[in-house]
Amino acid sequence: MNKHTFRYAGVMALALVVAGCASAPGGGSIYVPAGDSSSRDEAPEPPQTSESDGDEPRVERKSEQPEEPGREEEYSSPSYQDEGDALSPAARSLIKRADSLMAAGDTQAALAQLERAQRIAPRSAAVYFKLSEAYVAQDQLGSAEQFTLKGLSLAGSDSSLQRAGWLLLADIRRARGNVAGADQAEARAANL
Amino acid sequence: MACLTDAGIRYNPAMKKSASPKKSPKKNNRKGKGARKPWFWQLFLRVFFIGVVLLAGWMVYLDAVVTSRFEGRRFEVPSRVYARPLELYDGASVSSGALQRELELSGYRAGDGRKAGTYRRSGGHFEISTRGFLFTDGLEPRRRLSLNIYGDRVQEFRVLSGDPSPIVRLEPAQIGGIYPAHKEDRVLVQLDDVPDLFTDVLLAVEDRNFHDHHGVAPLSIARAMLANIRAGRIVQGGSTLTQQLVKNFFLTREQTLLRKGNEALMSVLLELHYEKDDILETYLNEVYLGQAGTRAIHGFGLASQFYFGESIRDIEAHQVALLVGMVKGPSYYNPRRHPERALSRRNLVIDVMAETGLIGEEQAARARAQPLGVTDRASYSENRYPAYIDLVRRHLARDYKQEDLQSEGLRIFTTLDPAIQYAAEFSVKDMLSRMEGSSDTVLESALVVTSRDSGEVLALVGGRDPQYAGFNRALDARRPIGSLIKPFIYLTALQQPERYNLITPVEDTGFSLVFDDGRRWEPKNYDGEERGLVPLHKALSHSYNFPAVRVGLDVGIDSVKSTLQSFGVTTGISEYPSMLLGSVAMTPVTVAQIYQGLATSGFNTPLRTIRQVTDAQGEALSRYRLKVDQVADPAAVHLVQYVMQETMQEGTGRSVYRTVPRELTLAGKTGTTDDGRDSWFAGFSGDLLAVSWVGRDDNGPTSLTGATGALPVWSRFMSQVPQHGFSPVVPDGVKYHWVNPAEGALTDEHCENARLVPFITGSEPEIEVSCGGNMERRIRGWFEGLFQ
Repeated sequence: MNKHTFRYAGVMALALVVAGCASAPGGGSIYVPAGDSSSRDEAPEPPQTSESDGDEPRVERKSEQPEEPGREEEYSSPSYQDEGDALSPAARSLIKRADSLMAAGDTQAALAQLERAQRIAPRSAAVYFKLSEAYVAQDQLGSAEQFTLKGLSLAGSDSSLQRAGWLLLADIRRARGNVAGADQAEARAANL
Repeated sequence: MACLTDAGIRYNPAMKKSASPKKSPKKNNRKGKGARKPWFWQLFLRVFFIGVVLLAGWMVYLDAVVTSRFEGRRFEVPSRVYARPLELYDGASVSSGALQRELELSGYRAGDGRKAGTYRRSGGHFEISTRGFLFTDGLEPRRRLSLNIYGDRVQEFRVLSGDPSPIVRLEPAQIGGIYPAHKEDRVLVQLDDVPDLFTDVLLAVEDRNFHDHHGVAPLSIARAMLANIRAGRIVQGGSTLTQQLVKNFFLTREQTLLRKGNEALMSVLLELHYEKDDILETYLNEVYLGQAGTRAIHGFGLASQFYFGESIRDIEAHQVALLVGMVKGPSYYNPRRHPERALSRRNLVIDVMAETGLIGEEQAARARAQPLGVTDRASYSENRYPAYIDLVRRHLARDYKQEDLQSEGLRIFTTLDPAIQYAAEFSVKDMLSRMEGSSDTVLESALVVTSRDSGEVLALVGGRDPQYAGFNRALDARRPIGSLIKPFIYLTALQQPERYNLITPVEDTGFSLVFDDGRRWEPKNYDGEERGLVPLHKALSHSYNFPAVRVGLDVGIDSVKSTLQSFGVTTGISEYPSMLLGSVAMTPVTVAQIYQGLATSGFNTPLRTIRQVTDAQGEALSRYRLKVDQVADPAAVHLVQYVMQETMQEGTGRSVYRTVPRELTLAGKTGTTDDGRDSWFAGFSGDLLAVSWVGRDDNGPTSLTGATGALPVWSRFMSQVPQHGFSPVVPDGVKYHWVNPAEGALTDEHCENARLVPFITGSEPEIEVSCGGNMERRIRGWFEGLFQ
């Protein structure tokens, strides 16, 4: 029975990775090179000791709290995004490699490739769903559930990722005997 | 020569086997002829007999020594500790300088970029020829790569030759080793790994008759003895390769006749038992070729890496000549210390190579014209990252025995990122000397850097002198964490959205607690001020003390404690109210652990320094996998992350943006303890989490706060590393609303005091005010009534 339900989840999760490839990059974290913009063409040898020394030779002894209230002119709003990062081609190639290793039954090597993918695409929900799949294949359902939750935390407003994640979670929970949790997850998927 | 050594081999079995056959005739003699023989003849026979028995016994003993040492584990091979392999692909985050340093650390040489192990750089363009590496999850074959670095990212990544792939791992740099007590280091090679030219040259120089003799070469010995007698001291050795091996392998270095005898006997025994190839291979791995500090360089495999940064498979004729030449005297001919001696010795060997026809005269001339070709320094220094290796050793100690680590040639793949470590060490050193300035306070510091989403420890600084292998503050300095505890207090509160949201007014006024035993506790604000009612987000971003204690007491100290425990605190936590101001002590590494959960939407991610350990053949022995464990509601954590960003923009951490560009969105928290004894900063970007601590080893006071001690170190570090800004994905059940925090009401985006604040659905305010505040609410209400 488990096998049947997991096949379904696996297909779903796989499908969403492909979907992730097809859709345009959603949210994207902002990459900031080191040093100032003039160093972008030819990055100088870090450390850049001269950087910003002129106007700020050192941080002077300041109170841990602001001296005066209301210095709000520099206010810029804390950042957030609605979706996790899209998978880069490099990360996608590693996931593909992991897929073929999984198909060949070498889950350990597949996990190693997926962890590589996770390191270069740590804010992509799809990577965590793939890790979850690999742990399902290893029958480590506790880890699988956690990776699904982690993936869901990055799915944001992408409803196809959300749906796949909740369905995967429902399957895993049912296999672990958590029927109520599974139903709840299924309901979440249905509401999307 | 050949027949003379044949005599040697006949001599030996005769000795071994003689024990019994010779016994009986002798006994017979004694019995039969008895006292008639002259007494001296009897004595002679007896002495001879005893001598033979003793010698036979001695031979049996030596034979056992030779075979047991040779059969059993032949070498104690130290474990090798590697940095994480650098991944190259389009978009990879690395600066040109960092890539070049990484290549050099991995033993690459500037060159044409075509020969394996070389690279060519022009500006931001790199061509790299990898050597290939067998990882447990697959082989990275040799490839020639081309890439550009622009804006600290890899672009136009291409595989010019070799197996195509959009992502390629470089060989990991060796960053340390775990050595046996005798400190011998070697990289084992098999005879097949070594080019034929190499062994041919070695034999031509050291032992031309190696394939013909049986362990000793009496003619050579005779010749050497003659020379020694003439000189009146030992000037020449007639040792075969086998004898040299025996000398290194089984005997001490002293030059006595007895030892010489043993050496000859053992050599013969060795040749009797083992194939020539076995002996040659062992010699290749045993021979001593130099010293790196306390570490002894043994074998040509390691020597080739040590002197040329290249595998022995890849070295050229002139390099072969140098390595073989050095056998005669590794320190006398040390090419780094005595290049001119080494050069003339090398050229002598090249002469031999030409004379014996191993290379043509033209090739010899070319080889002689080559420089020595040694790298400036050894490809890695033994103790480059003592603090980090310290943490690795502690992790290893959970699963491995010290003896195995010292002798089994294990390979330990760590998570150290050399570029990050470099920036971390620099930041600590640089900022501490600036902070001390003219004052005579001696400050110390620690810095822990992890990968935000994987929990991998990327860099660790245990003190301001990163080369010092002593007290490791990152692991062992347990200090009160001060205000670093506050996010956990407010997180505990925000997990009750029906009671708390980010604009809940909290009271910034003093109070005192009286305990049952009559003691009083009166917390103070850092600046001694009281501000009355302030919105919760501001109380946290500005690190006010009274609201933190009030909220903490309201949700309960035990709840705060259990939040801390679920985030990874395993040591005892005091339940006194002073814990709410951070009287609880932790090490920087523990702080990094608990902040990992705050940085990753409530997923506790155990810190790791090791990805895997393999045996010498590359088979995985243990893997340390990524683990995640949800310990808090992601929605509540998102609210705390919002305030930790606010801290950097307008709160206690705002000086960060004097060092770091504003596009790099960051989140963090300052911490200070009484009299500035501890200055803390913990925070994160999209990629990295870093915790810094500054204070004194004697726990004395300083004039520092979290914002003036630890934060500058942290900022300096962050400013040097190209990375993604922090921009969390809004979790399920969180919505952003424009609010007027002072009024505790929804408001319009364009109002002057409007702020976009996240709320857990259902906890957002129900009332709404317009820009002018309450007065206009009625008017607005009236207007709305009119038009809606």
